[in-house]
Amino acid sequence: MDSAFLAVLVGLTSVGAYLMGARGRGWSRRGLRAAVGHMLECVGLALAFFVVNLALGLAILLVARRVAGGFVSLYVVDDVTLLVLSLLQALVFAGWRAGASD
Amino acid sequence: MSGPGPLRALGVAGLALFVIVAFTPLPNVVGARLGSPPALAPADAIVVLGSGTESDGTLANTSLRRTVHAIRLYQRGLAPLLFFLGARRPGAQTGEAEVRAALARELAVPATAILTEEPAWTTREEASRAQARLAPRGVRTILLVSEARHLVRARPVFERAGFRVLTAPADGAPLETQPEARLWLTRELLAELVARTYYRLAGYL
Repeated sequence: MDSAFLAVLVGLTSVGAYLMGARGRGWSRRGLRAAVGHMLECVGLALAFFVVNLALGLAILLVARRVAGGFVSLYVVDDVTLLVLSLLQALVFAGWRAGASD
Repeated sequence: MSGPGPLRALGVAGLALFVIVAFTPLPNVVGARLGSPPALAPADAIVVLGSGTESDGTLANTSLRRTVHAIRLYQRGLAPLLFFLGARRPGAQTGEAEVRAALARELAVPATAILTEEPAWTTREEASRAQARLAPRGVRTILLVSEARHLVRARPVFERAGFRVLTAPADGAPLETQPEARLWLTRELLAELVARTYYRLAGYL
């Protein structure tokens, strides 16, 4: 029920945004397809940044655990913040790449 | 960095995974399969693995759940001894194990039936400490208390330390219905899978 409500809610606002863009502003369907493609690239880029951040973080912590001798928790990288920061990295990188190809 | 094709494919895969995880019961199914079922029987001691405290010194949710479950097992007469593990946060007055012991005493467990051990940060260190404290007391069979998914990794580690291990998961099979709870469960499952992989690679399992 909760998940269905959320899906319907987002579906409704998406339809509303589509109508506003297509009819109110006259934006093209092709532009929408390109925007979805751009969004998918950003998601892919964010996942790539996340995996690299996670792998590098674990490697650094494991080395620190060996070097320091004392306890170094690997759960430092088990934080949702890392996913958000990876998304921000992806947005900046995607924007930079788009600017370079103009 | 790669071109748009592979990134788009990765994005599609990521979004598909997100939809499946958040909007289907798949995480519950995977969580149930990755967990250890209970094997409750009389034992020499109940060993309660650490899970952490909040910044105000109170027990974290999982820690409290494990502690209460262990106390109930003790009160059912399944073992004569409660062994609480749990490290002390830097700067904290009291460690997790002591907070758990205090709760057990408040719930009518005699002080003589409680043992605590603080300086153990990992499952492997906990097994080592448990062996050092419990083996001289003749403890051979233990009821090991943690979350079901953690017990799959903890059990062989404690068996390697010389114990006969009976698993006593403090949680049941996951039945999450809200998308956020399913995402959270998936994150915990992934963290445990990473930990299992690390333990295998390091030769601890």
